[in-house]
Amino acid sequence: MDSEAGREEAALLNRLRTRLADFEKDRANLLSILRMIQETFSYIPEEAIYMAADHLDLAPSEVYGVATFYNQFKFNPPGKYPIKVCLGTACHVKGGDIILENFERKLDIREGETTPDRDFSLERVACVGCCALAPVALVGEAVHGHMAPSKVEGLFTRIQVEKEMAEREKRRHESAR
Amino acid sequence: MSPPDKRSRSAAYLALQETALQEQEEHAETGGPVIHIGLATCGIAAGALETRHAFEQVLAERKIPARIHPVGCLGHCYAEPVVIIDHPDSGFPPIFYHEVTPGKAKMLARLFLEEGDPRFEHVYGAMKPNDLIPSVMEFSRFSREHRVVMEKCGRIDPGDLNEYIAEGGYRALDAVLRMDPGQVIETVTASGLRGRGGAGFPTGLKWERARTAFGDKLVICNADEGDPGAYMDRAIIESDPHQVLEGLAICAHAAGAGEGGIYIRSEYPLAVRIITRAVEQARQAGLLGKNILGSGIDLEVTVFQGSGAFVCGEETGLIQSMEGRRGMPRHRPPYPVSRGFQGRPTVINNVKTLAYLPLILQRGAEWFRSLGTEHSPGTAVFSVVGDVVHPGLVEIPMGVTLRTLIFDICGGIPKHKGFKAVQIGGPSGGCLPESFLDIPIDFDSLTEAGAMMGSGGLVVMDEATCVVNVSRYFLDFTQKESCGKCTFCRIGARHLLDILTRITCGNGRDGDLEQLERLSRDIKQGSLCGLGRTAPNPILTSLAYFREEYETHVQDGRCPGMMCRPLTAFYIDLEKCARGCDACATCCPTDAVFTTSTRKKGIDLDTCVKCGECVTACPPEYDAVRRVSPAHLAPVVERPAEPVESAADKPENREAP
Amino acid sequence: MSRISFQVNDRKISAPEGMSLLGACLNADIHIPHLCYMEGMTEPPASCRLCFVEIEGRREPVTACTLPVRSDLKVRTDTPAVRRLQRTALRLLLSVHHVDCKHCIANYKCELQRTARFLGIGLKPKHLDHYSKEPEVDDTHPHLIHRPNRCVLCGRCIHICESRHGRAYIAMARRGFDTVLTFYGSTDAIDLPAPDCTACIDVCPVGALESKHGE
Repeated sequence: MDSEAGREEAALLNRLRTRLADFEKDRANLLSILRMIQETFSYIPEEAIYMAADHLDLAPSEVYGVATFYNQFKFNPPGKYPIKVCLGTACHVKGGDIILENFERKLDIREGETTPDRDFSLERVACVGCCALAPVALVGEAVHGHMAPSKVEGLFTRIQVEKEMAEREKRRHESAR
Repeated sequence: MSPPDKRSRSAAYLALQETALQEQEEHAETGGPVIHIGLATCGIAAGALETRHAFEQVLAERKIPARIHPVGCLGHCYAEPVVIIDHPDSGFPPIFYHEVTPGKAKMLARLFLEEGDPRFEHVYGAMKPNDLIPSVMEFSRFSREHRVVMEKCGRIDPGDLNEYIAEGGYRALDAVLRMDPGQVIETVTASGLRGRGGAGFPTGLKWERARTAFGDKLVICNADEGDPGAYMDRAIIESDPHQVLEGLAICAHAAGAGEGGIYIRSEYPLAVRIITRAVEQARQAGLLGKNILGSGIDLEVTVFQGSGAFVCGEETGLIQSMEGRRGMPRHRPPYPVSRGFQGRPTVINNVKTLAYLPLILQRGAEWFRSLGTEHSPGTAVFSVVGDVVHPGLVEIPMGVTLRTLIFDICGGIPKHKGFKAVQIGGPSGGCLPESFLDIPIDFDSLTEAGAMMGSGGLVVMDEATCVVNVSRYFLDFTQKESCGKCTFCRIGARHLLDILTRITCGNGRDGDLEQLERLSRDIKQGSLCGLGRTAPNPILTSLAYFREEYETHVQDGRCPGMMCRPLTAFYIDLEKCARGCDACATCCPTDAVFTTSTRKKGIDLDTCVKCGECVTACPPEYDAVRRVSPAHLAPVVERPAEPVESAADKPENREAP
Repeated sequence: MSRISFQVNDRKISAPEGMSLLGACLNADIHIPHLCYMEGMTEPPASCRLCFVEIEGRREPVTACTLPVRSDLKVRTDTPAVRRLQRTALRLLLSVHHVDCKHCIANYKCELQRTARFLGIGLKPKHLDHYSKEPEVDDTHPHLIHRPNRCVLCGRCIHICESRHGRAYIAMARRGFDTVLTFYGSTDAIDLPAPDCTACIDVCPVGALESKHGE
């Protein structure tokens, strides 16, 4: 599995070289380039920082310094189910931190971390703009409003069921082939 | 709206207008019911996509000749997903339905669209006055608002340029392009428009400075809305993007810029998609790009995505970030209007500021001045959230009081609780008590009170809120978002946060409040940029108006709002607890609830995380869970050594293996 | 270039047009505490927030490094408001500074020591908690040792590196309170200007940078 992921990443890095060529060698493109890298890999691999620095003729430390300034750029691969807990003002007033804690306890990781099996990653975000539904949590892109500790439990059950269904589907496909 | 005067329009505009009006006519001729669905981010979060899917399904299945019309955000977040059904043949006016689930959607399609029964029990109100259904205009949430900048939000399809043009869109730009830039600036100056980004700087003056500056100019729309509780800029872009683009083009012409940019948060993926598409549409229609509307004037607009740094909402930070650097603000002057992006004169305006422009140029400076107050003309858009019955986006004329906004328009505090405070302007704003409810809302009154118009985030807090805790929340935010460049903000904000944290944990020390005050004052004066200079506002205002609450925390370890978890404890009132009931025990995420020897429930204070789930779970007829502060007031109930068999453990309740 | 004269603390001084007030005062031997400013900077970062002065007609103290000299300036460098801001700024810096002068290479030439003496405050501020960063020592660079708990993040090293070599081999990473200097990517000794160039070590006001090869 790991080597498969490694091969995939190597292929992506190869492709990155050609995609970088689409960007003019202008420093003002640095953030667009970093965004492109983040979208390609779901995080910023070390190798990509060197490639971006090389392309724009900047020191790698400079690129690293810029990338680490912005919240959107991650330096570790995220989980298969990235969980984001909104801690905007409305969510805070309605107990968003309690929801975050419940996820932390349930997954046994802290915010900003990924579970060892890389299934889940957990982070806090500042306002996703659904204040009337506070407190809010996101699994992937799906917004879950009016969260409560018991709903955290429910979310995992649902993910588990979905996962099992997907696996069953996959097995059926395989056996059909 | 006055009938279009053909002489004052350019040939290119008239052609666009004709196409747009033709499309409208075609729709009108086809007839049939129209289903308007709010599909902005907040609607989607509440399930509007599923609702639309349900409508699509049932329309196809039953061959109902109705048209689904995707619109943006009406601002009534409490009612999402919102659907307005316009079914002229039924004899009813357009009807506003709230919280339309897929099930409700299918039911309405069958019963209202097919059979003409609007299902009165689900109707929220009619969109027009009539004899059959009460109009929404009779509700103060609708009638006391005054929509100007959000006029078209939730009424038009943000993805359809023709709808905007049919409403008179880009007419102002067409006129402006044939005006002298100085004349445009004159009108904007005469209107008294002040920047809606927070500080309220006169827009006309900013443009004048840019116009007289030397160099290749640039205009930027600042859509890096970062206040964790304000989302009107997002809503406007998602609902009416062309109005913002038209404003940007007007600004560009006035300032003499041939290049424009939109700096938008990437945390708003839908808004990014919508504005990018709008730019493309406008370019194809000749409203942007080369030779706009045949005027010989060029404007290229690009969309730039922010990457998650609140401080980039500060204009010099924004420029740094566009240049591919760390978004650290720099000293002003020089202001961006004289030296901005890559050294070029750069005009940066907020989304709302730009969106007002087409209206001001079309209706005149006098019209704008007739709204609001003398020094703050126009309207203000607030996102009202927190403990309020009807949260959402509200647009009101400047000068309306906070009381009207909170109690009359937004329905007041839910659950019969009392009002405690209102936090205005997000992390740079302040926390105002009841005695300020009657001050008029405008730039200067709010600043005088120690708050700020800021981004327009407004959080209403009921009596069960702790202002110390809320101040800590905001400091936590600014501290995390500080760029780290200057000493006061980088280190000072951290000290403020730590003092507040220890106060909310019951470890406050003598002298902490004085220290907070001293540090806050110095950080306010000594910081480099607006973020640091306003970061202490939540503390300074709450200390001024709620000092005794801070003192109670420090001296008695008590949180009157019962919000600071380390200072509170839950216990179960054994008088009220029902024997054998397991509601609280089954929902407790940490198994802190145990069964006592009398088969009632107790809470193990060591394992309890104080999430309050047991309070929600306890059936209202028992209402047995209590919360107290300070924590030591909770009576201690020992957990029995041998667990007593609870109802869930009984063999007959267990699932068969 | 024409010279401009103006008043500082009852004294008349003059400076070339376009110079910053801080530069002008320092040239005239009027000491104003500062850490991030370096002579010849066109756009000083104004990040250390020490060089406050009071200008007649202005409500609040302003930083002298960002103010170009003008003939109508009436400047005071020692008012209570100025001193208060300077002392708070220095105390904040000291609250994250590992005070261990005896073992520090900058002992006796340290700007923090000098400024503390000038402002009359101790090196271990009362009333403020002390914070330390991890790790104490960053030795990932082939030639340099960096001590984050000494660093005041003035940015002088980055500025000098960039002006000497066209690009900075040192950068700031992360954000806010967690901001640190980084040598990211500087592992290949051959490509680096150090150890021949010691500019960054020389300009450091506090001894946060040290050579691995001794002095």
